[in-house]
Amino acid sequence: MKAKKRVVTSGPQTPTRRTPTVRRIKSAIVPAGRPSPASGVRATHAAGPAAPSGIGQGDPDRATGPSVDVAVDLGRGLVLANPLVAASGPFGYGVEVADAVDLGRLGALITRGTTLRARAGAPPPRMAATPSGIVHALGYQNPGVDAVIAKHEPTWDSWSVPVVVNVCGESAGEFVEIVRRLEGLAGVAAVELNLGCPNAARGGTPFTVDPDAAASLVAAVRRTWDRCLIAKLSPGAADIRSVARAVASAGADAISAIGGVAALAVGGPGSGAVLTGPAIHPIALRVVHDVVGAVGVPVVAYGGVAWLDDVLDFLAVGAVAVGVGTAALADPGLPVRLAEELEDVVAARGLASYRDLVGIARR
Amino acid sequence: MTTLLAEAELVESRAILPGQWIGSFHAPHVASGARAGQFVHLRDPDPTTELLRRSVPLNTADPSTGIVTLHVRTPRSRFGDPSPVGRLRAGDRVGLVGPFGRPFEVDPRSRHLLLIAAGLGVAALRMLADEAVRDGRQVTLLFGAPAARDVYPSSLLPDEVEYVVATADGSLGHHGPVTDLVPAYEAWADQAFAAGPRTLLAELARHAAGRRERMGVANLGRKRGGGRPEPMGSATARRKAFLQVALDQPVGCAAATCLGCAVLGAGGVPLRTCREGPVFSAPELDWDALP
Repeated sequence: MKAKKRVVTSGPQTPTRRTPTVRRIKSAIVPAGRPSPASGVRATHAAGPAAPSGIGQGDPDRATGPSVDVAVDLGRGLVLANPLVAASGPFGYGVEVADAVDLGRLGALITRGTTLRARAGAPPPRMAATPSGIVHALGYQNPGVDAVIAKHEPTWDSWSVPVVVNVCGESAGEFVEIVRRLEGLAGVAAVELNLGCPNAARGGTPFTVDPDAAASLVAAVRRTWDRCLIAKLSPGAADIRSVARAVASAGADAISAIGGVAALAVGGPGSGAVLTGPAIHPIALRVVHDVVGAVGVPVVAYGGVAWLDDVLDFLAVGAVAVGVGTAALADPGLPVRLAEELEDVVAARGLASYRDLVGIARR
Repeated sequence: MTTLLAEAELVESRAILPGQWIGSFHAPHVASGARAGQFVHLRDPDPTTELLRRSVPLNTADPSTGIVTLHVRTPRSRFGDPSPVGRLRAGDRVGLVGPFGRPFEVDPRSRHLLLIAAGLGVAALRMLADEAVRDGRQVTLLFGAPAARDVYPSSLLPDEVEYVVATADGSLGHHGPVTDLVPAYEAWADQAFAAGPRTLLAELARHAAGRRERMGVANLGRKRGGGRPEPMGSATARRKAFLQVALDQPVGCAAATCLGCAVLGAGGVPLRTCREGPVFSAPELDWDALP
C-alpha cells in the first residue's frame, strides 16, 4: 500500500482504525468419502435462506450437505436440521456472534440463561482456568426476559435456526411467569428449563437433585407451554435416573444433560461455581448413559465436547443431539465444523441416517 | 468478529526476566489500527493445559511490518513444566486474534504522563510510552518489583522515558512499594496510567480520588473534568480522568458474549473487561467489589 502523506497540525496522532482484510482461501483438499456437495437436500431447517457465511468454519463453499439423514425430532414439532447445537452460554443470545458464526448451519441455538428480572451477575472473578476446564460463576447475568424478547425475538424469528430459550428461576412460579411471556412468540422454538438453578423453597437445593421439586416444576410449566419443553439436568442427584423419570412423566418432551458440575477454585469464583469443559466429559457420558436408560424421551447431551469423538461418544450412549459449550469460547466455529464432520462420518460409513450411530454402545 | 479464528507466526522470542519472555509475532491483522491498552487473545497450542485463549496486552504493534510483540509470563502446568505456549519456537503458528477492548485515552493537552506499573503490569503500559514519546509528551515510568532481578530492563524502554524503580527488598532503587514514589510526581503529572496487581490499582484509585482536594488551586487552571459532565465510561470522560487503569482480568471469549470477564462498575453495573475495558478510568469501577 502506498503511504499517504499526513499533515500533523496539533495534538496526538490517532491512527485511523482499519478493518483488516481477510481473504478466504479455498482449499484444494477435499476430505475423502464425501459425495458431491451439490447433491442432496438438508433436513427441514436448512431449506430456509442460509445465514451469512462466517470465516474458518469448515468448508465455506458447502451450501448443502451430503445426502445423509441427520434431522432430529425433539417432539411437538421441533425438528433440528442436524444434531449439533450450541449449548447455553457461549453464544449469548446468538446476535453477539451472528456475523462470525454461520448459525443457520446449527441444529439449534440455546440462549444464555434468562431470568424474570434483570440480574447484574456475580462479582469478579467469575472465571478461573483449571486443567481441561473452567470453573465459573456468572450469577445469571442477563437483562431479564422482557428485555430479551423486545431486543432479540424479532431477530430470532428471521433466522432459520431454531432458538431455544434457556430459562432460569428460583421457584416454579418464576419459571412459569417467564414461560408465559415467551408463549406465542414465533422466534422461540422451545424452552429449556435449567433445573440446576437453586430452589429457594428448599433452601437453595438445586431442582435437579430433587425428583419431587423437579417434577412439580416441569408439570407447572407444562400447563402453560404447549410447544417443545426441554428439562436440563445437572449431576449431583443420588440417582439421576429417578430425576429423569420424574421430569419425563411430568411432561418434558426432551431431557438435556449435563449442566456444569458444582466446583470450586481457591481464589476463583465464589458461591454457585461450576466446572465445565473437557474435564467433565466422562461425568456427562455417565449421566447421559443413565438418563437414556431410564426414559424414553430424546436426550440432548452436553459436557466437554471438543472433538468429533466426543460427539460420537454421546451418540453411542444414546443421545440424539449434542451441544457444544465451553470449547466454543476459544473456537466459535467448532459447533458448525462438528456438524459437518458428523455428516461426513455418516456418509463415509455408508449409513442412511446418523441414527444408526445412536445407542451403539448400549447394544 | 471475523478475526476470531486468525493465526500468527512467532518470529522471535527472548527471555527478558525469570519466567517472562517477549515474543514477536507476525500478525498484520492485529497490528493494523491497534492502540495502547488493547489486548490480544492467544491460544495455547495444547488446550488441555489452557482451554481458553489467554488475554495478553499488546506490548508493541508496528502496522508497517505487521509485527506485534507480547510480554508474557511463562505459564506452568500442574507438574511444573512450562506449558506449550512457553515452549514456542520461531516459526511456530498459534491462534492470535485481536486487538480487543478499548485503549488508553490521552488528553491532547496532557504534556506530562505518569505511568505506574508493578511486575508484569508494565506489559500493558509499554505501548503507551511509545505513543506518548512519539507525540512529544514527557513520560515518567514508576516501576515496582520484589527485587532487583525482577526489574524490567531499562534497555527495553524508549530513551526519552524517565524510569524510576522501587523494590520491596531495597536491592535496587527506592526501598518500598512503588506507591511511595507517586506523591513526588503527582503534581507534575497531567494524567496517570497504571497497570499491575489489583491491590496497587485500588490504592492508586483511592489516592487519585482525593487528588482534587490535595492539589487545590494547582488543578484549577486546566479545568480538567470540569464543564459539561460526560457520560461515565465514554472516551471523552476517560480522557478527562486523572487516572486510567488497565485490568488484567482473564477474558473468556473476547466477543463480549460469555460475560466471564465482567467486573462491577461504580453503580453496580457489570462491565465487560473485553468490551468496556480493559482500560477503565478509576472512578468507573467499584474498587471494593474487585478481588
